[in-house]
Amino acid sequence: MHIMEGFLPWQWCLVWWIIAIPFLVLGVIQLRSMIKKDRDNLPLLGVCGAFIFILSALKLPSVTGSCSHPTGTGLSTMCFGVFITSVIGAIVLLFQALFLAHGGLSTMGANMVSMAIGGPVVGYALYKILKDTSVNIYVTVFLVSAVADMVTYIITSLELALAYPAAVGGVAASFGAFFSIFAVTQIPLSIVEGCVLALVFKYIVALKPEILLKLNVFSEEQISRAGAQEYSTSKTEA
Amino acid sequence: MISNYKLEIITVLAILGFIAIFVSVSSGGDHEFSGSDDVGSEKISELTGQSVESFKPLIPQYEPPSGEIEATLFALQCAFGALILGIIFGYWLGQRKKSPLN
Repeated sequence: MHIMEGFLPWQWCLVWWIIAIPFLVLGVIQLRSMIKKDRDNLPLLGVCGAFIFILSALKLPSVTGSCSHPTGTGLSTMCFGVFITSVIGAIVLLFQALFLAHGGLSTMGANMVSMAIGGPVVGYALYKILKDTSVNIYVTVFLVSAVADMVTYIITSLELALAYPAAVGGVAASFGAFFSIFAVTQIPLSIVEGCVLALVFKYIVALKPEILLKLNVFSEEQISRAGAQEYSTSKTEA
Repeated sequence: MISNYKLEIITVLAILGFIAIFVSVSSGGDHEFSGSDDVGSEKISELTGQSVESFKPLIPQYEPPSGEIEATLFALQCAFGALILGIIFGYWLGQRKKSPLN
């Protein structure tokens, strides 16, 4: 999903950086105040960040005959919101730009807008819609993760299409071309990612539901309904 | 008993399906399984009529000298994430064993 260094004209680099910076600044402010207030949230933050790190290093083959990687931003979006997720995403992107030549510093703004901001924003909106309905919380996690992943690639396609409109058909035509490369490759990956993150969420519910309650990710009733089995098993084990 | 592991079963099935797709795609036709980044770059050069090599980085950057080095760095990235996951889940499991819910 990275736009490689040098593949965006500098004007577009500037535009995406300008959009990305407010998210980054707000994210750092939120992160600082959260850490100052309550250090108990740090392990969960670590888990969310670790998943973004692991998943974005896994380059998986897909139906179209090319490889791509999941993003893993859905989990952290639900637990900590869009701004903090954008900070974690920026750290991962910086690592890959500096050491792996995947993406680059000038295109990092654009990559942040797609992976660390755009995907999480849409995922968060979906989470807000589903949160208080009767939808099972694991289904919510699945949908949010899968959608955040897909949207990342849709935005990447859009960014490239805006910078490189086709001679015939303009932005729409080249959006179609990039979409068929990035987004279609991503469909099976995002489904698997959704399943894996839902499973991880099950383990968080089983081991540390109190953090989820404190962060108000889901209501107590929803968590105890979904985690009822885990509660009973942990009781029998003890 | 099985209903306790519904999510695990679904995840394993999804991964198996994913592998099945890979096996069937890779056994027929010619697919390079290169990164979608590279395929995207080729598309850009097709749209602009310039070769991929003519795109110069705006900001000079370090590039891993070979695929081996790149694989090492990716493995390190993964290992770092997995290490943190292992520590935290282990820590939580220890806490939960000491003071179970209810």
